[in-house]
Amino acid sequence: MSSASPPPKGPEVSPRDELFERLVESSTDFAIYTITLDGKATSWNIAAERIFGYGADEILGHSADVIFTEEDRAAGEPQKERDEATRTGQAANERWHRRKNGSRFWGSGSLAPLRNPQDGFVKIVRDRTEVYCTGEELREREARFRLLATSIPQLVFRTLPGGSRSWGSPQWSDFTGMSLEESIGSGWMKAVHPEDLPATRAAWEGAEERGEYYVEHRVRRGDGEYRWHQTRARPVDAATDRTGEWVGTMTDIHDLRGLKDRQAVLLAELQHRTRNLLAVVQSIASQTLRKSSSLGDFGPEFEGRLRALSRVQGLLARSDHQDIDLRTLLEVELVAHGDGGVGTGKITVEGPTVALPAISAQAMGLAVHELATNAVKYGALAQPQGHLSVIWRLESDHASPRVSLEWRESSVTMPPEGPGKRKGYGTELIERALPYQLRAKTSLEFGQDGVRCVIAVPVRRGGGERKHG
Amino acid sequence: MVEPATSAAPGSDAGGLRGRRLLVVEDEYMIAMELTRSLEELGAEVVGPAGSVEDALELVGRDGGRLDAAVLDINLRDERVYPVADALTARGVPFVFATGYDSMAIPSSYASAPRCEKPVDKLQLARLLARRWQG
Repeated sequence: MSSASPPPKGPEVSPRDELFERLVESSTDFAIYTITLDGKATSWNIAAERIFGYGADEILGHSADVIFTEEDRAAGEPQKERDEATRTGQAANERWHRRKNGSRFWGSGSLAPLRNPQDGFVKIVRDRTEVYCTGEELREREARFRLLATSIPQLVFRTLPGGSRSWGSPQWSDFTGMSLEESIGSGWMKAVHPEDLPATRAAWEGAEERGEYYVEHRVRRGDGEYRWHQTRARPVDAATDRTGEWVGTMTDIHDLRGLKDRQAVLLAELQHRTRNLLAVVQSIASQTLRKSSSLGDFGPEFEGRLRALSRVQGLLARSDHQDIDLRTLLEVELVAHGDGGVGTGKITVEGPTVALPAISAQAMGLAVHELATNAVKYGALAQPQGHLSVIWRLESDHASPRVSLEWRESSVTMPPEGPGKRKGYGTELIERALPYQLRAKTSLEFGQDGVRCVIAVPVRRGGGERKHG
Repeated sequence: MVEPATSAAPGSDAGGLRGRRLLVVEDEYMIAMELTRSLEELGAEVVGPAGSVEDALELVGRDGGRLDAAVLDINLRDERVYPVADALTARGVPFVFATGYDSMAIPSSYASAPRCEKPVDKLQLARLLARRWQG
């Protein structure tokens, strides 16, 4: 509405002046106003109203210094600006300005003396807040990126597609011992294991379509050791960065890969054990079948042996396939066969703590199962007056230490026909299998008042005292 | 289904074991017995079985020249059978692995040897052996 009367120019207005006036009036981005030598507003265009928030009617005749911030006013900036304009013909600067409502904006301004210096000055101010903030934000973003890039454990880099690097974080230099100068371009590839270079380069194929670069390769540490790294890169957002560069990280996955390898070994071991166990089951089945007079005989015998095998496997699983405590093995078998005879005086179980190597546990378990089955059917555990003692001791005076276990049944009335068919499998197991696969010394006698069996199995030196890995 | 093949006609794969001397290396007694019995049923003469590298090497040293082939378990208690494989190779005796291990777990220098997975199918084993003699 209001705009100001331009500086008096006489009654006639030349076309040029009119053009100037219209230009000033129609300018919406540029605040244009004139001030007296001491800073009082003498004209004030629409854009000045819009940008500063003061109407022409409020400000004309008053000091226009109110558009300076309080600090700048206190520092005498308005006068300094006028002095500079007088001295040099123009004072241009960028600074914070204050609006009527107290808010601030970043503006670039220019103050110049009017044609007649006594008339004062013309000032033009443009709101540059947006431009200023974008620049500021970029600087801040860049600073945040550097801070992140230099404080995380990963090695960070910037690269062009194809692998030419423009920057590497200090961690890269710390790890490889290569300076930034040595590393830029393709210099960094000197730290990649020669065998992994083809893969390192090939990973760029199709990376731009996928929007991701990915490779696992060995990178040489300053001390010469190669360590596996996982390297990923992604293009920088093109909207904020026109360099066409990608930013990437390299993460040390050496230990992780080691774990994976160990897992593969464990898996192979598990397969081996499983297949071996199946082969054992198969051999038990066919030998039980061979020694059974009928399928009715076969069923319970085979099932009993499978259960014994499964009990030993359970113990092995609990010990992580390490040594097994001999007493535990014996008690598990006796409890499986008995009515709680252990501890009632019918069965004596006695001996020091012995760590039985895992490799011997299965055959020992099966042997004890055969002895116990026999005792339950025909021996000490079948007859009220019968007694069973299982006693063992460590014999460390031999070249290789061993545990000698005696299974002794007493007060047993032996069946007149002898131990019968059962003798087949159990006897073969004790007299032949244990010596063959455990290097055990064994003897098995069917005495007048019960079975007597001695099994001496090698144990590791020191293995008798406690378990060890 | 198995029986007709075991009583195979002369010249068939299974019949190919007749009169052959085979070394069996297997640490598990019951498996060793089972394998021995199967091979004997197919007409072979079994040397061993040996349950350790030491015992197997002794048999190879004593009998190596008269062996037609060997069946080797890879994992023998705490040791691997490879020294036995080397000794057999040095004497030109072919062998077959009978193992629970995957081929991936076998060192590359032995990976080309035929392999039977446990539990061993005796007819497959006989075919593998026959192929070795032909090769």
